[in-house]
Amino acid sequence: MIKVQGLSKEFSDPKRGTRLAVDGVSFEVRAGEVFGLLGPNGAGKTTTLRMLATLLKPSAGSATLNGFDIVREPDKVREQIGFLSGDMGLYGRLTPRETLEFFSQLNGMDSRRGQQRIREVLSLLDMNAFADVRGDKLSTGMKQKTAIARAILHDPPVLILDEPTSGLDVPTARSIEAAVLDAKTTGKCVLYSTHVMEEAEYLCDRIGVIHDGKLKTTGTMEELRQETGKQRLREIFLNLLGLAA
Amino acid sequence: MRFSMIKAIFRKELLDMSRDRRFLISVAVVPLIVFPLLISGMAKLLPRIQRQADADALTLAIAVRISTPSIREGLEKAGLRLVEKDDLKASVQNKSAGAAVEEMPSSPPEVRIYVDASDPSSSAAGERVREALTELKDRRIREELRNSGIDERVLAPFTVNRVNVAGDRKMAGALYGSVLGYVLLLLMFTGGMYPVIDMTAGEKERKTLEALLASPARRSEIVMGKTLTAIAAILATACLTVASMAYSLRNLRGNGNGLTPPDPRMAELQQSMGTIPLDASTIGLIAVVLIPLAIFAASLMFAIALKARSFKEGQSYLTPLAFVVIFPALLGGLPGLKMTPQLCLIPIFNASQMIHGILLGEVSQVNFAVTLAANLGYSAIAFFLARRMFDDEKVLFRS
Repeated sequence: MIKVQGLSKEFSDPKRGTRLAVDGVSFEVRAGEVFGLLGPNGAGKTTTLRMLATLLKPSAGSATLNGFDIVREPDKVREQIGFLSGDMGLYGRLTPRETLEFFSQLNGMDSRRGQQRIREVLSLLDMNAFADVRGDKLSTGMKQKTAIARAILHDPPVLILDEPTSGLDVPTARSIEAAVLDAKTTGKCVLYSTHVMEEAEYLCDRIGVIHDGKLKTTGTMEELRQETGKQRLREIFLNLLGLAA
Repeated sequence: MRFSMIKAIFRKELLDMSRDRRFLISVAVVPLIVFPLLISGMAKLLPRIQRQADADALTLAIAVRISTPSIREGLEKAGLRLVEKDDLKASVQNKSAGAAVEEMPSSPPEVRIYVDASDPSSSAAGERVREALTELKDRRIREELRNSGIDERVLAPFTVNRVNVAGDRKMAGALYGSVLGYVLLLLMFTGGMYPVIDMTAGEKERKTLEALLASPARRSEIVMGKTLTAIAAILATACLTVASMAYSLRNLRGNGNGLTPPDPRMAELQQSMGTIPLDASTIGLIAVVLIPLAIFAASLMFAIALKARSFKEGQSYLTPLAFVVIFPALLGGLPGLKMTPQLCLIPIFNASQMIHGILLGEVSQVNFAVTLAANLGYSAIAFFLARRMFDDEKVLFRS
């Protein structure tokens, strides 16, 4: 379960001054739910997700993941999450199997459990054909599958996915979406950020729209339709941003 | 800190590095191939150049302006080919003569020898002229003494002999110690540079750092694992450098096929090298000096490279560090420097001096303890700095 309360992040730059990238964002994500975070470029999605993954410290507000506070207990938070962003790289000189073995050790899995889980994940994501090929020889889709595998390897109760299908072809994107739905049915809590409206409509139980660092609204598709009077998520989104025709 | 995390990160970095051609070149190939090639190449070339110069000196013309017939005769008897030239200096400069001799109108007479010291052949020719004139001078002195009825033995009332009380080990230590410290320290820094940049700025550039930061590994464990990898690379470079230099110098000899005999200076050097004891205590002492320095080097480079956004930027930050290392490392190898506990506080310089002292067999316990404590202190500070940098969001996510 994710609980976010008044989360803010301010960046200061000697040349550009201070900028409030995330401004008082509050939302909750329940177990067995996929919560979509939508917003234009620079809205604050990635910054929000990075704070929840303990990569950045919030300037104000608080958040807990499965009961652990992101500021006071970051180590515990990281044990609960699988984090993936669309532009995360892979180790070019290691194979997917070696990468997964490394992350299984970091996640405290013993050798037997780690190998078993690696086999399961390789099978789930249909990666056996390239599991022993070096990272720098893989296609974009293969790399992203490996990144997903890394995020779900330790079977975390919370998944934080930042544009995970970015740049992928349809079949590969579909396999990523299948993994997300699988996570949901097994009771995981999934926070999912995307630009692709159709993907958000397909996957997400509830959606939050963020713009200029502020969370404009949250709700199910039905609730958003009633709020804006629009049917398709694309129009709902543009309407909430004040860009509807 | 959890040892299992540090071990996992260390092993992964080693595996990654072992598959990187550039890492293998900087840590292994350079010490193993370049030094033997350089040393054996120089050992073969230098004597050959000298022999060629000596051979040229036999045939080169000597320009002369001499009025005293006996001096001219002495030079001719020495087998020198004398020629007349209007401008003696110019004839040496434009190589129409190997050297020139001029008798100056003064009392007593002065004979000047002009050589181009930048040209080994001219120097060799000038040396032949000097030898011929010295022999002529000695002969004339003896004649004058005989004519005066004075015994020639007045020229040598007593003999003077120089005896070196330093044993072979100490001589080798003085020779090897002045070079080894400098070479080792420079290579340690340059050998560790590539893996450090790759593990910091390189990971940022390849966007692989985020996944590691989002894992359960603590920041201190990540820094420790990566620093240990850098230390391993630095120490590996040091070991391979010492081994390849020792191997190269030991094998300096004319080969056994009856070709050119070993150069006397190289033979002396080889003899000295062979006498350096490779016992556990010498190796152990050098290792004790190098380990804190390796930690210091790795941590300092880690902290600096972490600020870079890309591999190239990391190189531009760290390359000047190599120049900063050269100066104290060179100074530390200077012979005759009296070490004090205060001087032992200067990093890099203290290690270079310690290595010199260990190889000479002269190490003060106080100075050794101060050097060790100082370098351990500096390495702790550098590691703390690296750890602090790793907590800074602006540094980690600088783009």
